[in-house]
Amino acid sequence: MNPWTEQSLVEFESKVAEMFNRGEIKAPVHLSDGNEAQLIEIFNEVRPEDYVFCSWRSHYQCLLKGIPEDEILDSIRSGKSISLNFPAHRFYSSAIVGGVLPQAVGVAAAIKRSRGSEHVWCFLGDMTAETGMAQTCFRYSLNHGLPIEFVVEDNGISVCTNTREVWGDILPAAWESPSLTNVRSYVYKSQYPHAGAGIRVQF
Amino acid sequence: MAQLSAYATQLRIAMQNLAQDPRVIFLGQAVGVPGTAMRTTLEDIDADRLIELPVEEDFQLGMSIGMAIGGFIPVSIFPRWNFVLLAANQLVNHLDKLGEITGLDPAPKVIVRTSIGAEHPLDPGPQHKGDFSDAFVLMCPHMDVVRLDTTEAIVPAYEKALMRPDGRSTLLVEWGDLYAI
Repeated sequence: MNPWTEQSLVEFESKVAEMFNRGEIKAPVHLSDGNEAQLIEIFNEVRPEDYVFCSWRSHYQCLLKGIPEDEILDSIRSGKSISLNFPAHRFYSSAIVGGVLPQAVGVAAAIKRSRGSEHVWCFLGDMTAETGMAQTCFRYSLNHGLPIEFVVEDNGISVCTNTREVWGDILPAAWESPSLTNVRSYVYKSQYPHAGAGIRVQF
Repeated sequence: MAQLSAYATQLRIAMQNLAQDPRVIFLGQAVGVPGTAMRTTLEDIDADRLIELPVEEDFQLGMSIGMAIGGFIPVSIFPRWNFVLLAANQLVNHLDKLGEITGLDPAPKVIVRTSIGAEHPLDPGPQHKGDFSDAFVLMCPHMDVVRLDTTEAIVPAYEKALMRPDGRSTLLVEWGDLYAI
């Protein structure tokens, strides 16, 4: 059972927000909020041997993967919040849109080829889920029976852009198709802006 | 079996040498089926080591990185330099920075194989015979970009790319015109 609760996740992120607003983190941070319950439920299925791939917003996923809090805070303090990587815990992320998606597929292909039992979990936002790279990764991994599941974290917004408005609403997003049985999603709203913690910090 | 030039013969030997390592796999379009000059250098490789992929260059290189993380040494094959440009995100932002971002030392490595498109007997024009080696030397400071200008350079260069213990990935650039008899 994961030791992290909704309340303790919120407290961790609040601590990071305060550190950032005090100017103690001299690099961008992307904070999570409003998706605690959904992630706790998903991570009940994630085993220590499984791989997790994330975007630039990954503090909660790090904690829920079992990476020690101090280790995460040290990485955040050293300016790595937007690309946290803990290979010993099989945790990878990238600050580039869609960057980890094909890498996650590659790990899943390696697991299948080695006849391993690990699973790959790949978290991505709703705008990333609209990219051609995402379509490629969903389709290829489903058609080849790779041990990977994609989780679309849908807050409806990318930086400050409304995802559905810019794409238009006649044809639904491909990732919402029920045929994609390797893609699940959840909807949430965050109190935090895309980057930072709501106060302009002058370094 | 097709007749090969000395240059292509050495590439064929280099690929056989790489395949001696059970961790090595070969990925790309026209690696598992005929279709490119590079394919002629893979004809000695067991079919189960050749992973035929859709044409989606950035996906191919990202998948190669993932397979490297998963314990393999991928040889990721792009028939022309111009096509590698479509994988520049995974090459410059990810593969070159893999050690820096993950802290892994040595980092998992990928061997990237491409060529400067042949001008003879057919000149394919500016979109198929580019050579961006010098630019990518500057863009990928944590990788080696090696242009294989001579036949003698081929086998040692691929051997170094495989055996080097420092985790640096290598991008090897062949000359399409030297495949011709």
